[in-house]
Amino acid sequence: MDFGLSQEQVIFSDALAGFLNEHVPIARVRDIMESQDAADAALVKSLAEQGVCGILVGADSGGTGLGLLEAVVAAEQLGAAATPCSFHSAAVMAPLLLAAAGKTDLLEQIAAGSLLVSVVDKAPALLGGKLDGEVLFAPDTDVADAFIVLCGEGAARCAVYLDANTRGLGREALVGVDETRRVGELVFEGVDITADADLGVDAATIDRVLDAGRIVLAADALGAAQRLLDEAVKYALERKQFGRVIGSFQAVKHMCAETYAELEPVRSMLWYAAFAWDENLDDAALVASLVKAEACEMATRAATTCVQVYGGMGFTYECDMHIWFKRAGYDRQMLGGPAELRQRAAQLAYG
Amino acid sequence: MDLTYGSEYDAFRRTVKDFLAKHDADAPRAGIGSGEAAPDLLAWQKVLVENGYAARTVPKEYGGYGAEPDLIETIIISEEFHTARIARGMASQGISMFVPTLLQYGTEEQKRAYIGPTIRGEMIWCQGYSEPGAGSDLASLQTSAVLDGDDFVINGQKIWTSTARESSMMFALVRTEPDEPKHKGISYLVLPTDSEGLDIRPLKTMTGASSFNEVFFEDVRVPKKNLIGVRGQGWEIGTATLVHERDMLGGTGQTETLLLNLADVLRDYGKIDDPVFRDKLMSLQARVVAMKYHSLRMLTDKLKKRSSAGAGLITKLNGCQLNHDICALAIDAMDEVGMLRKGSKHVRDRGMWQSQFMFTLGLIIGGGTAQIQKNIISERGLGMPREPKPAARA
Repeated sequence: MDFGLSQEQVIFSDALAGFLNEHVPIARVRDIMESQDAADAALVKSLAEQGVCGILVGADSGGTGLGLLEAVVAAEQLGAAATPCSFHSAAVMAPLLLAAAGKTDLLEQIAAGSLLVSVVDKAPALLGGKLDGEVLFAPDTDVADAFIVLCGEGAARCAVYLDANTRGLGREALVGVDETRRVGELVFEGVDITADADLGVDAATIDRVLDAGRIVLAADALGAAQRLLDEAVKYALERKQFGRVIGSFQAVKHMCAETYAELEPVRSMLWYAAFAWDENLDDAALVASLVKAEACEMATRAATTCVQVYGGMGFTYECDMHIWFKRAGYDRQMLGGPAELRQRAAQLAYG
Repeated sequence: MDLTYGSEYDAFRRTVKDFLAKHDADAPRAGIGSGEAAPDLLAWQKVLVENGYAARTVPKEYGGYGAEPDLIETIIISEEFHTARIARGMASQGISMFVPTLLQYGTEEQKRAYIGPTIRGEMIWCQGYSEPGAGSDLASLQTSAVLDGDDFVINGQKIWTSTARESSMMFALVRTEPDEPKHKGISYLVLPTDSEGLDIRPLKTMTGASSFNEVFFEDVRVPKKNLIGVRGQGWEIGTATLVHERDMLGGTGQTETLLLNLADVLRDYGKIDDPVFRDKLMSLQARVVAMKYHSLRMLTDKLKKRSSAGAGLITKLNGCQLNHDICALAIDAMDEVGMLRKGSKHVRDRGMWQSQFMFTLGLIIGGGTAQIQKNIISERGLGMPREPKPAARA
């Protein structure tokens, strides 16, 4: 019986946390948030050097060759630092789909940090080998080098790989509340889908990859919640009102205790969800939906509570709390909100 | 990540299974009241101790089986007894709380006098801690014990004393040093519950049952040799007892079973396809799954002999609330039937959901209220300050 992170995983987590603390401090995050495309190519390169971009890419393709549990560990740290990168899309879903399609050359480029791929779901079905219409909420729209578009519904779904400058493909950034990760709209006007572009992955594979994306978003939300709690407790130990630190008032203590009591079991559940996914256990799909629903409910409650601990200052733009508050919001809405995922889970559990 | 117990335990599991199979015909079934000293339970307790399924780690010289503590073995024993639905033994406070305390703090004479009869179920214990004026603030307890010759003379009152009526002995916290600071003035005494001047009255709770009692002491004489440890050491010993209570690995099996039963209720009352009920059911299921793996994480920490830090402080708070919430949804699913009581026509599951809904509220409050738990979590888990003490009165 050994339920938890291995020593190597803890070292990996600490190393990434240390790197982010030094190289992606919140000041740099704010600079990126305010920049034109809210992206930073140098950041992607340095994340590649840390082995983050290629975390799920096999070692023989220049990647770190790790599993979803390590991806979850990384995602928590990335979330805690509000790192401007769509890790769940670029470093988790994209490599998984490309690996299923045997695209080793593309995987090598992803691991090296020289290819940014965005995965977007719920695009229209192909008709006569062409893609027409639009799809919303593609991550990294402005800066992606390529898109993997998940088309159609049910068993007939397919994944197509489109270079960003494909003829007939238009893109436009949307304005999101989370300024650390941009999403956008893709418009397809008679885009020719060659046989080469179809990755040839089936619906079951697509579902499994989306589940991996959901688990990683849950981890990002956990990281955001942890950071919100850490900042709230730190503030409560410094801020004085009525002659003493506000953290000595029971109401404030209980707000923090309640957040903590919800957060730690989610961490335990997340480790299991990643393990179950890695091992392809019978309950992997069920737990993937449940953990994302639970993590995101926990994180939005943590966000609302911890901002209140921070008082009026927590409500300002200048204070950093809103950054993780909004980070949790993105995690909640993308790839299925809590209600939709509980519905999905109910279907799996009770038919 | 390894969720198995390890193949080195396969042989052990087989011996447990073999033992249960051998006794399947004559063993008492699970679910019989723990406080009762019925003849078949006493006989069974003897068999269990002899075979190491009760008092497993109690040293042989005190009547126990004398095995090395092994958490996995304890879990496997629980799992197999649960599967076989065979009585786990006499799970009294005496065995789970008092015996470990006595092993740590008792004299040889005291260990020989009490441990054997306790683990054999011949001596049933109750716990005299809480008082009407000393609940969350247990250290403010006022039941006094004054030395008079060779006896302590006890006056006062205890409350929430479960199994007092079925017990022959009590372990109690009493104030022996009224002039000392409150934590330093308490002593730990043991005494027979049929002592002259000791009066037990049942305490009826909102569930309608009287599983608790009030105990009144009027000049109750207790020999001074019944003191465990030294005078003024009661708080230290008493809190050590509570740690043993917490150490009883609260597996999540009970909650998981409750969830399965909830799903049955939803099906039977046509609510399993209702979107609102399904949504609430999955919320509860998510919490049950989280709790299950959280307990495996805590178990792993224990096996590796490392602290769980704050993460170990949330089990009671979360577990009790979760059980309460599961009962709540079952009651909602039953519509008006959820308002009936045991014994009524049309009542479901003998009114178990309704009485458990109330009893779980009692558990949220007892053994450390949810509010005290949150204080502990914030202080020991998050490093937040304790509430400032009121200024000393003149």
